[in-house]
Amino acid sequence: MAVQLPYQLEQIAELTGHEDRVWNVAWNPVKRILASCSADKSVRLYTYPHTLPPSKESDGRAAFSLLNTIQTGHTRTVRSVGWSPSGTSLATASFDGGIGIWEQEPPEDDEMDVDEVTLRERIRPDDWECMSTLEGHESECKSAAYSPSGNLLATCGRDKTVWIWEGYPDSDFAVQSVLMEHSQDVKCVAWHPVEEILASASYDDTIKLYYDDPDDEWYCFQTLTGHGSTVWSTAWSPTKSYLASSSDDKTVRVWKRVEQFKWECVLVLGGHTRSIYSVSWGPGKPSEKEGNLGWIASCDGDGNILVWELEEPTEGGATSPPKHRIIAQMESAHGVCDVNSISWNTKPGYEDILATGGDDCMLRVWRVV
Amino acid sequence: MTFSGTLRLTDLNDFITPSQACIKPVEQVDKGPDISESGGASTEIRIDSSGSYYEVSGPSTSGTNNTTAPERKLEQAQINLNDCLACSGCITSAESVLITLQSHTEVLSFLQSNTDQNSASYKVPILSIAPQSLSSLATSLSTLSASQRVITPRQILRRVQTFATQVLGFTHVFDTTFARHLALQEHVIEFQERREEDRRGDQQRQSLPMLASACPGWICYAEKAHPEMIPFIAKTKSPQQVMGTLAKNWIGQRLGKLPHEVYHVSVMPCYDKKLEASRQDFYNEVYSTRDVDCVITTGELELLMQEKNWDLSRPVAGELDLHIGTRPAQKVSGDITLPELVQHPGTSSGSYLQSIVSHLKETSTKPLTVSVKTIRNADFEEYILREEGPDGRVGEGEIVFKGAKCYGFRNLQNVVRKVGRERGVRVGTGAAGRLAGKAAVRRSAKKNAVEGDERLYDYVEVMACPGGCVNGGGQLRPPRDNVTVGNQAGATVTGGDRDEEGYQRSWEESGVMDVVGTEGGGMLNPKWGDREWTKKVEEMYWQDVDGSSEPTCRTSSWTSASRPQAMITTTTRSRAFPGQPNGVDGVSGADRRSLTEGLQRSLLEDADSLVTRVLDEVALGGAMEPGTKDSASLRRQLFRTQYRAVESDTVGIAIQW
Repeated sequence: MAVQLPYQLEQIAELTGHEDRVWNVAWNPVKRILASCSADKSVRLYTYPHTLPPSKESDGRAAFSLLNTIQTGHTRTVRSVGWSPSGTSLATASFDGGIGIWEQEPPEDDEMDVDEVTLRERIRPDDWECMSTLEGHESECKSAAYSPSGNLLATCGRDKTVWIWEGYPDSDFAVQSVLMEHSQDVKCVAWHPVEEILASASYDDTIKLYYDDPDDEWYCFQTLTGHGSTVWSTAWSPTKSYLASSSDDKTVRVWKRVEQFKWECVLVLGGHTRSIYSVSWGPGKPSEKEGNLGWIASCDGDGNILVWELEEPTEGGATSPPKHRIIAQMESAHGVCDVNSISWNTKPGYEDILATGGDDCMLRVWRVV
Repeated sequence: MTFSGTLRLTDLNDFITPSQACIKPVEQVDKGPDISESGGASTEIRIDSSGSYYEVSGPSTSGTNNTTAPERKLEQAQINLNDCLACSGCITSAESVLITLQSHTEVLSFLQSNTDQNSASYKVPILSIAPQSLSSLATSLSTLSASQRVITPRQILRRVQTFATQVLGFTHVFDTTFARHLALQEHVIEFQERREEDRRGDQQRQSLPMLASACPGWICYAEKAHPEMIPFIAKTKSPQQVMGTLAKNWIGQRLGKLPHEVYHVSVMPCYDKKLEASRQDFYNEVYSTRDVDCVITTGELELLMQEKNWDLSRPVAGELDLHIGTRPAQKVSGDITLPELVQHPGTSSGSYLQSIVSHLKETSTKPLTVSVKTIRNADFEEYILREEGPDGRVGEGEIVFKGAKCYGFRNLQNVVRKVGRERGVRVGTGAAGRLAGKAAVRRSAKKNAVEGDERLYDYVEVMACPGGCVNGGGQLRPPRDNVTVGNQAGATVTGGDRDEEGYQRSWEESGVMDVVGTEGGGMLNPKWGDREWTKKVEEMYWQDVDGSSEPTCRTSSWTSASRPQAMITTTTRSRAFPGQPNGVDGVSGADRRSLTEGLQRSLLEDADSLVTRVLDEVALGGAMEPGTKDSASLRRQLFRTQYRAVESDTVGIAIQW
């Protein structure tokens, strides 16, 4: 490495078990669970201890243990998984065109005497059962994401549509909108962390942003253009005003909110050598420093992982780019294989933990040290 | 005037998008040994004046032997409508094929070759036009009219009749409301049959809820994506196809013509009507003819008039006359005239739900009251019929009927989910059946326990377009200066002004334009212009009910309450004339209304007695199958159809991203 980077990525776990490529990894926002999905049509759930092993000497596999395997019943690849904000529901999006909603039985009454936080974070070994299936996409589903309130679920797929489903009690869902704005395959949907604003990324090289207008109709209020090829993935900043997107054009773009319903590209991050399949934006190390925007992690088809640190610009106008630098890098993270998914753990105290999934059928967990 | 007559497939924003290229394989027929020249692989394709393709050997490499180079006529790859219907790959892509097979140019070229009435191949050309198309034309014309006058659908019908007979050479021009009258009658009969089946507890038959069958977009979608819904869909033909049956069988018979000696064109608000007309069920194999030979959209009719330099804004003689009088175009033969513009109260998409509600009210031994509940918006409303409660209290008695109208793809999804769940049929072709494990079963059991004997739907009027048929994909779009779309900057549009199918697309006009983002303005719905426009067409649709062919100020007409609200309040009185008091007809309003009320009543009576006559004549004419004795089975034979699930070919194709 030509430049000495301030941090390194240390692998703390290497999780085998999937029989085909791993497409997506997702940290449960409340419970200590990591979920993964694969072309083997299964979802695997791993749990980890309160305190992760401090250094590379420890055996990573021992720290993470398999909690459950969900044989989903999807007839084709499970392309992505998405947790509800409460951490109690998991949505699966499959190439068979269906969406599955998975939950555990509610805890028995005699467990109710423990305090609420413990209850919420409690990890139970019970099976995850299919509570509902959402049918409607004509062909492969690519992504499913719960809104910040947990009441809405967005899904997208190869039929060029984005669907917004409204949840009712007992895992019942109704269609709230079918958005046909993209001209090609929609790869990914992501909700703003607080507001009910949805972003979708597509093979048509654009990102579209949607909002539910007062007439109760969802519509696209902005199309973000600039990427020169497929946009694979988007991630909102924890600080809420930025959006990152990763593309087949080998760049990550950072878009800033300049008005209530207007985002502009303020930064283009290079450094990747192949298509960037996934991007994740975490809060980074807790910092007293003002203007900390957190860490962006991205992974590509050459097996590279890059981690950037971003800070609010101290000078210039509203559209001046954030200060940024690469703080860590990992080559051949999954050997010669593609890295399909990357995700920061957002639970407090685990902000320096990253998970990746790759074509080598493996999940790997990394720490920024 | 500048209606946009260009094709707007991509504006069907609420419906199914094309998903892939056509997959029909081209058959290769072995024509014996190839004439191959050594070392001379070069050939050329030549097109002759008739458009046939020939393969000719290129400049010969083997010397001077050019004269004997053989020409070989090439087979054209043909994709017919049934290929498209059978292929689950696309729906609107199929429409682009239809544009050449069923277009206004096709109509013109047929009529040009059909001028000699004495020729053996002469066909009687009949045009039938949907009332929604008339409203669309009337709304556009009224908006563009400098005189601030409302031009009513009736006037439009008269002008189109004049155009079609004098300029194009049609011998008959009808509107489709008489056919709809028949369709509605049959629809009610079928509903009663299904209700009876359901009452007998025959669960296997999946009799209820009955789902409307007039929308070909919905039918196509159900056959492809939700075959489990097919048993619930009414088998009654749509008004277009009833009209087709009338034209080819009854009218033809009266004119002394066989079915294939009639050429029947229909004007529809909807592209998918073209698909409907080409269904196998509506093809007469004995005479090799379709009940509807060609379907053109409202926009294509407008284009036709433009090409023939016909000015639709010019009045024609007697166009304000409420009575049909002696207008030859509406005449079938002899003394028989089809009732014109028969109004069926209810919705502008055909009043299917309302006809059932009205029937139940009329035939009930106890007084019934209707209550309406909006589920999400005006496109999804529930109608509940109750008996009177104890002491005659309204709204507390037993529910005898629960129906809904449900328009638009989004609402349609929810109805499919709801019906599937309520009736315990597997929803979807994909994972649902396999995935729904014990949790789902437990949930539905719990749900039933909680909700008890909640009334399930008896009937749903399903339409694929939001706003229903007045907002069909084939309708005229608002004139440009009338569209309220703020942003002219092209900054947010990618890929130029062509959509993915290569069609020219005006982003501003179709209302797809990003409005808020780049201007940072208020929260203006990008569809606002279209929605307002649909409202206008809706009001125009009911214009003649008001009897206000009097000149009126258009603004006062259009700012009055929108139709859906008006309809809801008409549950008690004036069944035949919902929402009439729009306050548009000024001085002579009351007189006029009683006049039109009388006219409508006599129209309905005429329609009823004509139905009887039609059935008698068709029965005598022997157009029915042997063994068809009673009129009920004759009706069934004439006015019902069937549906079949379309197997999905594409799900098995493994494409991984």
